[in-house]
Amino acid sequence: MRVIAEGLGVRLSGRVIFENVAFEWNGPGIYTVTGNNGAGKTTLLKVVAALLHPGRGTMRWENSTTAALTPAQARAHLGFAGPEIGLWEDLTALENFAFGARARGLDWSAADGAAWLERLGLTGRGDERLAGFSSGMKQRVKIAFAMLGRPGLVILDEPGSNLDDRGRAVVDALVREAAEHSLVVVATNDPVEAAWGRPGITL
Amino acid sequence: MRIVWWRWGLFLWMAVMTVAAFLYAPLAKKLYEQTRIIYWHIPVAWVTLVAFLVAGWHSWRYLKTRDLASDARAAVATELGLVFCALATVTGAIFSKGMWGSYWNWDPRQTSIFFLLLVYAAALTLRAAVEDPTRKARLSAVYGLFSAAVTPLLLFVVPRLFFSLHPDPIVNASGKLEMHPRMFQVFMASLVGFTVLFFWVYALDVRIRLHRLAREGAWTGSGKDRAA
Amino acid sequence: MGPSGDHAVSRAIEGDAVRRILDAAGAVFIKDVTTELRSRYAVAATATFALAALAVVSFAVGPFGGRPELLAAFLWTVILFAAAAGLAQAFTREAERRTWLTLRLVAPPTSILLGKWGVNLAVLTAIEALVVPMFLVLFGVEFRSLPAFLAILLLANVGLSAALTLVAALLAQARAHGALVSALAFPLVVPVLMAAIVGTRRAFTEPGVWPPECRVLAAYAGVVVGIGFLLAEHVLDD
Repeated sequence: MRVIAEGLGVRLSGRVIFENVAFEWNGPGIYTVTGNNGAGKTTLLKVVAALLHPGRGTMRWENSTTAALTPAQARAHLGFAGPEIGLWEDLTALENFAFGARARGLDWSAADGAAWLERLGLTGRGDERLAGFSSGMKQRVKIAFAMLGRPGLVILDEPGSNLDDRGRAVVDALVREAAEHSLVVVATNDPVEAAWGRPGITL
Repeated sequence: MRIVWWRWGLFLWMAVMTVAAFLYAPLAKKLYEQTRIIYWHIPVAWVTLVAFLVAGWHSWRYLKTRDLASDARAAVATELGLVFCALATVTGAIFSKGMWGSYWNWDPRQTSIFFLLLVYAAALTLRAAVEDPTRKARLSAVYGLFSAAVTPLLLFVVPRLFFSLHPDPIVNASGKLEMHPRMFQVFMASLVGFTVLFFWVYALDVRIRLHRLAREGAWTGSGKDRAA
Repeated sequence: MGPSGDHAVSRAIEGDAVRRILDAAGAVFIKDVTTELRSRYAVAATATFALAALAVVSFAVGPFGGRPELLAAFLWTVILFAAAAGLAQAFTREAERRTWLTLRLVAPPTSILLGKWGVNLAVLTAIEALVVPMFLVLFGVEFRSLPAFLAILLLANVGLSAALTLVAALLAQARAHGALVSALAFPLVVPVLMAAIVGTRRAFTEPGVWPPECRVLAAYAGVVVGIGFLLAEHVLDD
């Protein structure tokens, strides 16, 4: 997928969060979004994820089969993991995955769920409610959730937060693999993560 | 100060209409003097409906273009609509007392105007409760269209429900007045006058708001396709 | 491919699109029902409210207080307040738990509204299954026409839950939530309430299966569902 932004501007509650943002990102590969806390990284990611209409400018999504996607279509072809994208804690990890897949219209079976759990290093924990997971475990599940069905665009907001070394290794592997076939956008303040890919934009 | 002729014209028009309402037009069917309020009541109720339609139109425009200027217009129409609706409710009650002996009897017209009052009040409550201008505009526009969709249903439904609840021939709910030609003239004059008045105040208020939006540096205008 | 071929293809795609929306709505419905069964939040809150309201009315009016018009009005007042209390949570909980954006990301807006409406309708029906018999017993109501009463009840449920779902969806992210949903929803549900009360009164006092109010309730439901479909994107988008 490609995403193209021109003259993007967002105001929330009257305050300008950012303006005149422009970029063009071509997948597959990783782009990073950096900037201080409060600079508007998460807000920009929401615009890229078609979850927020910008007040100014345009955001375009294109994939190989269609020239331009509408925001609704774009949402159907992207995954987003971040602090504001929570999962349902009364459900188990497997149930969360199943819901995400079914709502997207993806084929999903118990075997798919088991396979994901294994990649996350959470085998056997599939029937526990997410509420009982540690924040690191939840983070792994969130990132997997964003990658269900191999979407053309994967957006990660501070993917390394809450992760221990084991978790970091898991996520690292997932991101590298995703970058082989998808456009991956990572927002981070962590210099290690920032080095994963090309600089996309600094706010 | 520029003297704009048509505003003085409106003033004269309304003044003459008011005098005529008392002196020129005869009383309807030997009823009380207070039924003269019909010359104010129906025009004001009519303006309420006009305001409702204007607000609905601009709400739809906002959703299409996401232009805050459309939202400003819808907001003004809603506020003015509330004022006129309150006036319509009160004058209606006075008329009801003069015509049928009680201030409020929940006949279809009174019920309808009260319902409109509730809707207007709710719409303004919504505006007051949401701070972010863009979200406020979107929510108000959607709510405006919801109410526009439900209102015709209510206006048609209430008379039928009313008659099944109160099959009382004494209360004349259809309220069709047979108007003496003079009455009709004054009535139409009032209707025209109030409509012009509404649009004048509306235009003024819209201008003020657009000015304020520009001064705050709000992003009006769109040119963006909302083909979501 | 000739014109008829294109037509068949585009119809197939449309059929797919409809199925996709229904599937996603079903997924939302199941997710919510699963969550609800584990936390029992919505049903508990609504039921508590309904029973409390019922208790107050019964205490004030007594077992023999009821003329049909009054009883019909009481019943629907209790149902309305319970519904307003309990049906908004379908959306507020998503917002509170930060799953709102996730939901919008994975499911189309129409599916979200459809699925949540289904849940709300189910919750409302479940509450009524509890409250209505109690009401009938407490007030010693005798029917002239039970089928008519059930028809009114079901049709009114459809419209009432649809309207409340739409308003709750609209206000999902606004603050001061509960009171605002009620304030905005009440004017919009006036037609349902009026028709339901008149129809219920008729069911208490007259025989016959289909009171004329059923048509009104069906029309209302149609209008609300229709406008919901039309404006689905705008209701949920930001």
